[in-house]
Amino acid sequence: MKNVSIKKSLGIHVAGRPAPSVEDGPAVSSVAALPDHIPLIKPRLLVKKGDAVNIGSPLFEDKKKPWIRFLSPGGGTVTDIEYGHRRAITRIVIETGETEEHEAFEPVDEKAAKGMDRDQVIDAMAVRGLWPLVRSLPYRTIAAPDEKPASLWVCLDPADPFQVPSTVYLKGNEPLFVSGIRILERLGVPVYVCESEQVPVESPDIRAIITHRTAGPYPAEDPGVVLYHTKKSAVENRAWFMNGQDVLLLAEGMASGRYPISRIMAVSASGNGSPAVNRCVKTRLGAPLASLLPDPETARGRRWITGGLFRGQTAEPDGFMGFYETSLLLIEDAADPELFGFLKPGARKPTASRTFLYALHKKEFTAKADMRGEERACINCGKCEQVCPVDIMVQFAYKCVYAEEIEEALMHGLLDCVECGLCTYVCPAKIELAEALKTTRRAYYEDRI
Amino acid sequence: MGRIEKPLRTLFDRSRPYFEKGRRMERLKPFFEATETFFLYPAIPVKNQPFIRDSLDLKRYMSIVLAALMPPFLFGIYNTGFHARNVSGLSTDFMSVFGEGLIIVMPIVIVSYGVGLFWEGLFAAIRRHPISEGFLVTGLLFPLTLPPTIPLWQVAAGITFGVVIGKEIFGGTGRNLFNPALTARAFIFFAYPVQMSGDRVWVAVRDTAGNAVDAVSGATPLAIAALADPKARIEAVFADSGYTFQTLFFGNHIGSIGETSTLCILIGALILLATGIASYRIMAGGVIGAIATGLLFNYFQSPDLPAWFSINPVYHLVTGGFAFGIVYMATDPVTAPGTDRAKWVYGFLIGAIAVLVRVVNPAFPEGVMLAILFMNIFSPLMEYTETRLRIRRRIPNV
Repeated sequence: MKNVSIKKSLGIHVAGRPAPSVEDGPAVSSVAALPDHIPLIKPRLLVKKGDAVNIGSPLFEDKKKPWIRFLSPGGGTVTDIEYGHRRAITRIVIETGETEEHEAFEPVDEKAAKGMDRDQVIDAMAVRGLWPLVRSLPYRTIAAPDEKPASLWVCLDPADPFQVPSTVYLKGNEPLFVSGIRILERLGVPVYVCESEQVPVESPDIRAIITHRTAGPYPAEDPGVVLYHTKKSAVENRAWFMNGQDVLLLAEGMASGRYPISRIMAVSASGNGSPAVNRCVKTRLGAPLASLLPDPETARGRRWITGGLFRGQTAEPDGFMGFYETSLLLIEDAADPELFGFLKPGARKPTASRTFLYALHKKEFTAKADMRGEERACINCGKCEQVCPVDIMVQFAYKCVYAEEIEEALMHGLLDCVECGLCTYVCPAKIELAEALKTTRRAYYEDRI
Repeated sequence: MGRIEKPLRTLFDRSRPYFEKGRRMERLKPFFEATETFFLYPAIPVKNQPFIRDSLDLKRYMSIVLAALMPPFLFGIYNTGFHARNVSGLSTDFMSVFGEGLIIVMPIVIVSYGVGLFWEGLFAAIRRHPISEGFLVTGLLFPLTLPPTIPLWQVAAGITFGVVIGKEIFGGTGRNLFNPALTARAFIFFAYPVQMSGDRVWVAVRDTAGNAVDAVSGATPLAIAALADPKARIEAVFADSGYTFQTLFFGNHIGSIGETSTLCILIGALILLATGIASYRIMAGGVIGAIATGLLFNYFQSPDLPAWFSINPVYHLVTGGFAFGIVYMATDPVTAPGTDRAKWVYGFLIGAIAVLVRVVNPAFPEGVMLAILFMNIFSPLMEYTETRLRIRRRIPNV
C-alpha cells in the first residue's frame, strides 16, 4: 500500500459534521434530475411534460455523445421541465406514482461480468445509465470510452467535511463494493482504491483491495490530488475516477437489472444543527432537499448548499439533489455590516493567517457564506500558492488566465487544478481564483473537444 | 454599539441613492464606498465555491502594516520635537517635546495623506474602481522618510509624483513596478537636493513667532562617515560625534522623521512577522546581504580608501534608513517578487547594493532607497526565472 500525504494544505475546522448514523428518509412524492449540475454536457430532452416514465426510463441524453443517457430516478409523470439562462435545462421534475414501475435490464451476475471485455462493460453500463458515474481527470467530465486513461481511482472518503463517511455507506455493503470494483477492473485500466487515514476501513475484504492511503487535511483524498502526488510521467495525466458510494450503485445496477436509485446523503447545519439534523439519511437519487430535514421551515433564510462546502453550489429550499451530490449543508448567510469590523481583535474570526486572535486558539467555527471583505486588485501576497495542494503558483496562473494566455496557464498547471477552492478561501483580495481557473479550463475543454 | 451603528446605517442608506448610476454624484461613488466600508464592514454573500472565506482581507492587511508603522511614527514625532527644543535650549520634558513634534510632523503627514488621497480618488473616480487601502500605507510611509524641515509644497509634489507616476499610470494598485512611497522620495531627493540632504535639514526649529520653521546645522552619521579620516577608526569617530552604537540603535539622533530608531523599527518588524504580513525572507535576506557585503569591504580596507570600508558591518544595520527600508519598503508585496527563493535573492541584493552605494559611492551618502528601487526593476525578472524553474519541475499536463 502506498502512502500519499499532503502537508501543504490548511485544516479548516468547520463545526457541524454529520453524525455517522443513518436514518431512513421519508417517502417522497416527487424527484428530479438536474441536467445543469452535470458539467460539460449538452442535454437533449427525451421526454416532455406530461409523459409517463418508469424508474430507469431515459430522460435526456448528451447531444455530443447521444449514447450517454441519463435515466429517470422516479416512476410516475413528468410534471415540470424548468429552463434557466439561455434555455439550459435546469430541472426535470417527476411526480412519483403510488407504485413505481422499473425499467427492466438484463441482470449481469458476477460470473457474467467476469467474461465481459472492456467494450461490453462500457455498453452495459451505458445502457443501464451507470456510465456517467465514471468521470475523467483533468476536466472532471464524464469519461469518454475512446480515452486511454492510465488509472481509475476510487477514493473512499472525499475529505470535504460534509460528505458521507465510508464507514457509513460501506456498512453491510462490503461484498457489493468488492463486486463493483471487480466490474471496474474489466475496463482494462488499473483500479486504485484509496482510503483516508482518518477513516480507516475495517472490512478485511475491502482492505485487501486498497492500494493507497492518504493522509492530511482537505483535499488530500481528492483523486486529482492523489494522482498529482503519485504520477511519474505525463502519460498518467489522463485518469478516470469514481466516488466510493457510486461503486455500490454500479454493482447494484449491474446485478439487479434495475436502475439503482438508493443513496445515502449527508445532512448538516453548521452552527445550530441538532442531532436530528446532522446525520446521514438513506433516501433516493434526486430527492427533494426539504425531505432530508426534519423541519425544513425553520431552515429558510439560511444558505442551502448541495455538493459540499468547498465545491458545491447554492440551492433553493424547493430544490433537489443532483446526480453527483450526496450532501446538503445549511450555513448562515451574510447578514449585517459590522461596525469597524476590520479593527476588531477577532478571537472568533476564522482565518488561516495569523492576523486575528483566532490564530492563537483555533477552534471549530460556524460556517457563514460571507465574503469577509471586498474584492480588490491582486497584491501578489502569495497566500494562494502556499495552500495549493498541487503546487500551482495560483497568483501567476490567475494572471495568465486574466490575460488570456492559455498556453502559459497550462504550463503553470491549469489542468492539475483540483477545484478545491482553498486559494479562493485564503485570498485577502477576495478574487475568485478557483472559479476563474475552472471557467477557463472548461472553455478550453469545449474548444478542444 | 447599536446606538452608533443604527444612525450610521440610516445615514449611509439615505445617501447611497445620490451616488448611484445616473445621479449627480455618481463619480464620487468610490469615496462613498470607502467611507461606508470604513465604518461599517460590509457583509457580502458568497456567490461561488468555496462557500466560506478567510477573515483576512486587504483592510485588515493594511491596518496591520499601519499598526507596525506606529512605533517609528510615534518615536519620530518625539525625536523631532526633542531635537527642535534641544537646540533652542528649551525644556525637554515629554509632553512639550511630543507637542512640538506633533506641530512639526503632523502638517507633513496631513499634506501627504490629503494630496495623495486626492489623486487616488481622482483615478478611482475616472476608472471607477474602489479606492485601495494600500494608499493609507503609502501616505504614511512617505512622510517618515523625509527630513522634518521639508517644505510642505515639496511633500505635495512628492506624493503626487509617487501616486501618479509611481502607481496610477501603471494601472493602479497591484500593477505598479515601483514602491510609490519610495518613488515619491526619490523624486524629491533628486529634484530638490538642497532640502533633502546636507547638514542643515535635519533639525526643525520654530522661531519665537511660533510658526515658521527654520533649520539649524547638524550632521547625520552617514554624513560624518563619508567625511571621516580613513586612518581613524570609524566607530570612534561616530562615538566622538555622539553616535555610539546605543544612540544609533535607540534612535535619539537627527535624521529623517521615522527612520532613526532601529529599536522601534524592530518592534514594527516583529508585528509584521508575527502576523505573517511581511516576508521574513526579504528581511533576513537584506540583513545577510548587508553584513556579507560589509565584511567583504572590511577585507579590502586600507588607509587609501574611505573610512566606510573599515566599519563593523553591524553599524550598517543601525545607521541611515537601512532598517526602515528593509522592513517597510522592501517587503511591499506588489513590488517584491512573489516567489520564495526569489525573495531571498531580492532581499540579499537590496542589502548588498545599499551597502555598496554607501561605502563606495561618495555622491550618495545613503543607498537603501536606490537599492530598493533598483531591485524593484529586477523583481519581475526574478519572478520569471523562478516560475520557469518551478514549471520545469512539473510533469507537463496539457
